[in-house]
Amino acid sequence: MGAAAQFVASLAAILVLAWIAHRMGLGRDVRIRDADHAKGLADEVICGFAADDAAVDDAGRAALVRDRNGRTVLIKVHGAQFSGRLLGAGSTASVREDHGRTVLEIDTGERLFGRVTLDIDRPDNWVQCINPAKAGHHA
Amino acid sequence: MPDFSPIDFAVPFFVVLVLIEMIWARRRRPESYEPRDTLTSLAFGLGSSVAGLVTGGAVLALSLWLYQFRIFDFGDEWWSVWWAWPLCFVLDDLGYYVFHRCAHRVRWFWASHVNHHSSQHYNLSTALRQSWTGFFALSFIFRIPLTLVGFHPAMILFVGAFNLIYQFWIHTEAIGRMPRWFEAVMNTPSHHRVHHATNPLYLDRNYAGTFIVWDRLFGTFQAETESERIRYGIVRQLGTFNLLWSVFHEWVGIAQDVWRAPWRHKLPYLWRPPGWTHDGSRETSDMIRERWLEHGRAASDDMEKTVPNDNPIAGQEKPA
Ligand SMILES: [Zn+2]
Ligand SMILES: [Zn+2]
Repeated sequence: MGAAAQFVASLAAILVLAWIAHRMGLGRDVRIRDADHAKGLADEVICGFAADDAAVDDAGRAALVRDRNGRTVLIKVHGAQFSGRLLGAGSTASVREDHGRTVLEIDTGERLFGRVTLDIDRPDNWVQCINPAKAGHHA
Repeated sequence: MPDFSPIDFAVPFFVVLVLIEMIWARRRRPESYEPRDTLTSLAFGLGSSVAGLVTGGAVLALSLWLYQFRIFDFGDEWWSVWWAWPLCFVLDDLGYYVFHRCAHRVRWFWASHVNHHSSQHYNLSTALRQSWTGFFALSFIFRIPLTLVGFHPAMILFVGAFNLIYQFWIHTEAIGRMPRWFEAVMNTPSHHRVHHATNPLYLDRNYAGTFIVWDRLFGTFQAETESERIRYGIVRQLGTFNLLWSVFHEWVGIAQDVWRAPWRHKLPYLWRPPGWTHDGSRETSDMIRERWLEHGRAASDDMEKTVPNDNPIAGQEKPA
């Protein structure tokens, strides 16, 4: 078989395999259950993260966890797993209206990690601790 | 020169085994697969073999040129020296251990090898998640000593291919533990799950390719324990299934760090362990483990721990 034909056949094979995985319903629909779950996940992002406060998105798709030193960890559902970031200088938070609800939007500063939207209580508090310089300004 | 690539012949078996594992997963552990992750891993495998085709010729030419400086000579009919084959396999496996250890401890090599580790899932498709940038990272230098000893480059390629094929089946959660004698000598699903884990206890352990004895010998062995629920992937999970970012993220990271660092701190970003920074703003695996141990000590002072069985896989006595 020529190299090009072999490449096309292999490409077809991997697409079929991934499609089969999809059709079989593999993966799982994970959610962040509650604040304790979020705190545990934050400890997986930053080993030994002494969580003080946590807010979980209404649908359980994301969460924010804060420690006593004011550091904040963002956690999001990623496929059948979770993925998180310690929010640093490049991160910004803003509050906006979405279908009549006030939601918090976090930009980690990493394009491929993506923006994360959370439907949580008192989003302003989190805006203040994520970007203290911009406290009070809402997008 | 034998024009035979064992991996080409193994690919159909890989596909069948992935399908069998998917059927197992549907019934027992659907979360062990994630279709988008599977697609990324398989695309890694395809891209890696294309990269191998493009660069393989150059590596072979270099090896053949170096072969003339060999210390021992197996003669023109080197392939008929039967004992040279198993010897070459074992020494190549030792070479793989050295390569693999460097691949985790030197950021330059890690930038390529991280491709194999960036999935948060552990299944047979993860085994095919191979690097695209191994040639660029100069990974082939770890096989040069064997050529200089006197093993023919074709023999080294051949046994190396079998080593890679061996490593395929160990990427699964479907097998708990193998018989004791096997676990003692060979790399197994249980040992290699530890290698893919980000739990502090497991970081940078079990570098073996085929024989786990190298880890036992050089102090990098860690057995899988039932009290740890394994988390797979890398310390800073990608958070995306984007293929190109998954391939190049660490190279981009190196470039950014070297660019931003003051002159005298630039080069260490190439050869220091992943996570090293000149200002201590990130953590290496050693630092993470150190802090985890401190926390563990503090916690065990507080209470007598009862160890729960959090790892449903290690708890299995026999292969499922
Ligand atoms: Zn590795
Ligand atoms: Zn592996």
